[in-house]
Amino acid sequence: MVTPSTTNPYQGPLKGDNPFAQITDNVSRIMEAPKPPLAWYIALGFALMLLGIFGASLGYVVWEGIGAWGHIHPVAWGFPIVNFVFWVGIGHAGTLISAVLFLFRQNWRTAINRFAEAMTIFAVVCAAVFPGVHIGRPWLPYWMFPIPNQMGMWPQFRSPLEWDVFAVGTYATVSILFWYMGMIPDFATFRDRSVSTVRRFVYGLLAMGWRGSSRQWHRYERAYLLLAALATPLVLSVHSVVSFDFATSQLPGWHTTIFPPYFVAGAIFGGFAMVVVLAVPARQFFGLKKIITMKHLELMAKVILATGMIVGYAYAMEMFIAWYSGAMYEQFAFLNRAFGNFAWAYWTMIFCNVLSPQVFWFKKMRTNVWVIFVVGIIVNVGMWFERFVIICTSLTRDFLPANWGAFIPSPIDYATLAGSFGLFFTLFLLFCRYLPMVAMAEVKAFIPEGHIHDH
Amino acid sequence: MKPKPDSRPKYWRSLSELEGDPEFHEFVEREFRSPVEQEAPTAAGRRRFMQIMGASFALTGCYWKEEKLLPHTKQPEGFVPGEPVHYATHMELAGDPVGLWVKSYDGRPIKVEGNPNDSVSLGGTGVAHQAAILGFYDPDRSSKPLQRGEATSSEAFDQALLLAFRAAAKKGGQGFAVLSRATRSPSLLRLKAELKKQAPEATWTTYEAGYCAGPDKGAELAFGHKATMRYSVEKADVIVALDSEFIESGSPGALGSVRSLASRRDPDVGEMSRIYALETRLSEIGSLADHRVAVTASAIPALVALLDARISAARGEAGAQAAPSDNALGGAEAKKVIEVAAKDLLEHAGQSLVVVGAKHAPEVHAVVHRINVLLGNVGTTLTYLEPAESINGGADDLAALVAEMEGNKVETLLILGANAAYDSAADIEFKAALSKVKQSFHIGLYVDETAELASFHAPEAHFLEAWSDSRALDGTLRIGQPLIDPILNGRTYVEHLARFLGLPETSGQAIVRKTLGLRADKDWQSAVHDGFLGQPSKSLEVKLQTIAPIALPQAVELEVIFDLCPKVHDGRFANNGWLQELPHSLSKLTWGNAALVSPVTQKKYGLKDGFRCKVTVDGRSIDLPLMIAPGQADGTVGVVLGYGREAAGVVGGSKKEETDIIGSDTYKIRPSKAPHFASGAIALIDAREDLGITQDLHAIDDIGRKGQKDREDQLIREATVAEYRKHPSVIEHKVHHPPLLSLWQPPVSYDGHKWGLAVDLNKCGGCNACVIACQSENNISVVGKKEIARGREMSWIRIERYYKGDENSPAVRQQPVMCQQCENAPCEQVCPVGATMHSKEGLNDMVYTRCIGTRYCSNNCPYKVRRFNYRNYNLEAYGITPYTGTDEPRAKLKAMAFNPEVTVRSRGVMEKCTFCVQRIQNVKIKAKNHKRAIVDGEIKVACEQACASGALVFGDLNDKQGRVGKAHSVPRAYELLQELNNRPRVNYLARISNPHPELSTQDGHAEHH
Repeated sequence: MVTPSTTNPYQGPLKGDNPFAQITDNVSRIMEAPKPPLAWYIALGFALMLLGIFGASLGYVVWEGIGAWGHIHPVAWGFPIVNFVFWVGIGHAGTLISAVLFLFRQNWRTAINRFAEAMTIFAVVCAAVFPGVHIGRPWLPYWMFPIPNQMGMWPQFRSPLEWDVFAVGTYATVSILFWYMGMIPDFATFRDRSVSTVRRFVYGLLAMGWRGSSRQWHRYERAYLLLAALATPLVLSVHSVVSFDFATSQLPGWHTTIFPPYFVAGAIFGGFAMVVVLAVPARQFFGLKKIITMKHLELMAKVILATGMIVGYAYAMEMFIAWYSGAMYEQFAFLNRAFGNFAWAYWTMIFCNVLSPQVFWFKKMRTNVWVIFVVGIIVNVGMWFERFVIICTSLTRDFLPANWGAFIPSPIDYATLAGSFGLFFTLFLLFCRYLPMVAMAEVKAFIPEGHIHDH
Repeated sequence: MKPKPDSRPKYWRSLSELEGDPEFHEFVEREFRSPVEQEAPTAAGRRRFMQIMGASFALTGCYWKEEKLLPHTKQPEGFVPGEPVHYATHMELAGDPVGLWVKSYDGRPIKVEGNPNDSVSLGGTGVAHQAAILGFYDPDRSSKPLQRGEATSSEAFDQALLLAFRAAAKKGGQGFAVLSRATRSPSLLRLKAELKKQAPEATWTTYEAGYCAGPDKGAELAFGHKATMRYSVEKADVIVALDSEFIESGSPGALGSVRSLASRRDPDVGEMSRIYALETRLSEIGSLADHRVAVTASAIPALVALLDARISAARGEAGAQAAPSDNALGGAEAKKVIEVAAKDLLEHAGQSLVVVGAKHAPEVHAVVHRINVLLGNVGTTLTYLEPAESINGGADDLAALVAEMEGNKVETLLILGANAAYDSAADIEFKAALSKVKQSFHIGLYVDETAELASFHAPEAHFLEAWSDSRALDGTLRIGQPLIDPILNGRTYVEHLARFLGLPETSGQAIVRKTLGLRADKDWQSAVHDGFLGQPSKSLEVKLQTIAPIALPQAVELEVIFDLCPKVHDGRFANNGWLQELPHSLSKLTWGNAALVSPVTQKKYGLKDGFRCKVTVDGRSIDLPLMIAPGQADGTVGVVLGYGREAAGVVGGSKKEETDIIGSDTYKIRPSKAPHFASGAIALIDAREDLGITQDLHAIDDIGRKGQKDREDQLIREATVAEYRKHPSVIEHKVHHPPLLSLWQPPVSYDGHKWGLAVDLNKCGGCNACVIACQSENNISVVGKKEIARGREMSWIRIERYYKGDENSPAVRQQPVMCQQCENAPCEQVCPVGATMHSKEGLNDMVYTRCIGTRYCSNNCPYKVRRFNYRNYNLEAYGITPYTGTDEPRAKLKAMAFNPEVTVRSRGVMEKCTFCVQRIQNVKIKAKNHKRAIVDGEIKVACEQACASGALVFGDLNDKQGRVGKAHSVPRAYELLQELNNRPRVNYLARISNPHPELSTQDGHAEHH
């Protein structure tokens, strides 16, 4: 049933006597090693420090009031929402790689889907923090949920923020299910290889009694397929809905019909960039170069190039439509975006998102680990700026000039931005150490040796 | 209905009454009065009870040790807890009383409104009146007598003052001097005469920092006698205002003048008047004018002379001023406008008016009197009245007193409110002189700069807690009644004077009643009820005298022009947070003052916007921030007085309390010989200043400037009256948009009421009274300079200011923007928790308790009228940090200023204009109880009530014949950002100018693209 695709990175046999065992070894020894590499400790220390900053700054915000952030009168949404959209966007690649590429039989995905999924979940966790603490009364975000209550309060379903609650909530739920289900066979492997009782118990619990029988495999693969089919529309829906926060509003610069596809493309773009940023050091430090091959990286670079160009097209189209609309406020919003007080942010975004991926036209570049890594970082910076440009610069100058203002972030803004990376990396590093970073079972199915036993 | 004393129920109000304290009985007797609006058979008793209860409640254990909070044993008849009652009173500011209605809620004053029956103010108020509530509940007000800074008893103060006076009186009053502020209070003047009788040698000096000799002395020069001017601006077809503030609150009769002026600016109702304004700064009249030219103050005499020459020549009158040479006239444009204005005045002789700023010399005023007489305006647009008795004085008077003090001729100085240690001119050494006075007694609201130096200080009663009287411009009397017992133990000046003069009546009520000569209770009650009394003064026949040629002032390179602050006046309201935080109508500056210069002056002297600069006059300099103010005359620096107070209080700056000094003290460079404008110098200081401004907080780049220009014509729609008459649809066609279709049917039909507001841009001069009225009515927080500088002001009404035309001779446009209460409201659709909902009367109701603060509504509001509580501004004791915590009695006192009918918002919720929904409800309930319909105009929202010019009109749009219904139906009514199809309930009435045909081509304001 599964045919080797032309994009299968495992063209030649893996070296060694038993490639299957080698894959298992490679992945499992990360968990089994008594000590992870030094780099892991350094990275975790750094991540924990940022996480501490995150906790402290959010605590300060809750205690002191959200005035601690840099919001001003016209710019009522600032860094927290920028960060929210940024992280939700990052969270796109995981499901895309797992579900969409699965359905399209892009088997090369198997090496990276697991930690792309993990990345998704951690990014959604980071994203979910922000709407809760950005609101004026951070102890009441549950009022946005339809919880029957004695006060007779009910959410107002015309609000795109309400749609967000469900879109992001559904996405997070399905992503976690998908991720967890995919890990079950690998948990079983970990369980079987574990020597300590604690590990055996914990992984055993997580493996939910997996024995690897044909019936289990059969059901597993059916379920996986169904979940993938379920998750696929979510890839489109979640960021489309997030973009509705802006697209359905009246604000020039937000009120744009191109937003849903543009946001989705941007999210995939940013998500893939984040995957390469994570994959490059991970394969380096955990010795997974053979599993996450150069070919994988190259394919991801191509996706980045393609989605980057969709994003670039969207930028151009926004400008064109603003001009073509003849609507004065709309025209001004885009003129101001490109040449106003925040022009530097706009051109940073253009450089990062449109220009920098162009290097991937060259094979030499897209097969160079360093280039891929650096471009990945640049694209992530660019995607953050994209949200900043859309959200903040549009708000600084809307209809009535008497309201115009500028946005000056406060130290807390920077602290929470940096801190959210702390949360993300902490979770990710713990994941690398304790959970199967590569979907061993799936990879095995697609290495050349695996095909001998194919139908 | 008048109260019937017999029907008063017997209940006891305090322990002192039970014990039969005679003083208390006297108090009860004199407290008898009637409320204004309510039928109230037991008004007096109820009020008194509530006073005690309110005050005790607020101040138990603090100021009112002897009072006890006691429950009613029997409910007083007619008393409805929670039902506000209005009482008439007045507020005198620098000798100008304005009739007020003060709303009392369960015995405490909570809101000041204009008295619509006032013959001079016609129901308008200024910012100072609106902000009086916060001033009243100011915890920094002095609460106890002091002797050399140490607390003492009232008795000790009285005793010392009595002894000092008796000792002086024995010598015929020698060595006894009084320093007071300007007043037209008959009672104070009566006691002054009494003092003179008992101590003929005693001196009485009056000092007002804002005193201008011009108007009074000008009439003497022109007619040989004093005369009070009373304008009837509604009769003027042509108005020439030369550097005049005659419609700005604070100048006598201004509130009435602006209303009558505005009544002639409505092209839909009769013919429009035409206004020419030549002035040094953009004033209110300048922002309403059809032609405005910026000229230096020293050019004004020449312009007046030219006008006189032209008018006299046309009228064939001898004794005219010689037409001055062109270079004295402050530019070709000014000359041209005056020439045209002269023709226009002559064409409308008898229906025109020329006014000149009070700060100008008496000779200039004399010539202006002459022009008005020659034009035949006397009797129509201008009446001369017999001057009422008043006291006023300026730097010369103070200098004379200081000379006496320095000559050790003053042994006892009694200071009634005057704060000469702060607001005297730079070259008058009042402080040093005061140290030579053996004993000085200060009676004032605050322990201010002067009180700190005085040997004795006693707290003064605020006008809201005192009996008072004053004579308005037209000669009628104003009577003030207390709304509450003195909450901080203050006594009025007359009460103090009566005590040491040994008069039989020492209570404020008795003194005032005796002055007014109202023996019959009925007369007295009716006068107190109305708040005014008496007939207007007789008009005077005036005869012109020969007026000597005006000595034209030498043109100077740079004029420094001193004006009273439109917010804190001469500094006396410096401790009022509402006023400090009020954006200045042009510069939009809060919490401080700045040197205002035109772009040309800025370039000439190499100054930088938002940097500090050094301003020097007569070798004395101060440094203060610089702001570029288009419309300021080239070659002038505009500074306001009233800042840099060092003993104002916690809010306004206090060295003792170690709080920030607000702004720079411009008195330090104010010369006594030229207190209004003087030659000076300005230089850059290379230090940036973070200014608390609420508009253009950040530098506007070219793109922004262009974007602003492109849209101004659509936001503030304008036409000339000729265009408008020819094509009434000219306003509608300013904006073209596709048909406004909606996907949805409107969910509400608005069958009952449909509330709407109309804002007439032709009438708004940007006086800011509505902003403070809204703040007072709706408990809007003060956020402090730091938060303002971050753009987090909370005001529900924002007066947007736009400059039009060339940056060097701009016209200014003021546009008040509040919640537009859209029918198709973008805010309502995006709130995830339904905290802002549509009422069936079309209001966008804000449910504070439900708001979780996503702020999406603000983002989606195209008018950006929603304000967010980023911090707990109210808990931070109404904005001011030293009062953190709620247990502090001082903070509690301040919290008394809150209107109990309006929720006090806490941190993290959104707020906005509600169309004063509480006022709507009150009237609805009242109408329902009486089973009648609501009358048009019965509901007055706070901004509308305060607006002196009548620019704001509120009402039910379903009443097509109602005021607002009519206003919305005129062709110049338009919706702001109509193309968005939000269907706002606020309509703006376009600005229609009436330029003179000869000037309209070159005049930037009349041009349209």
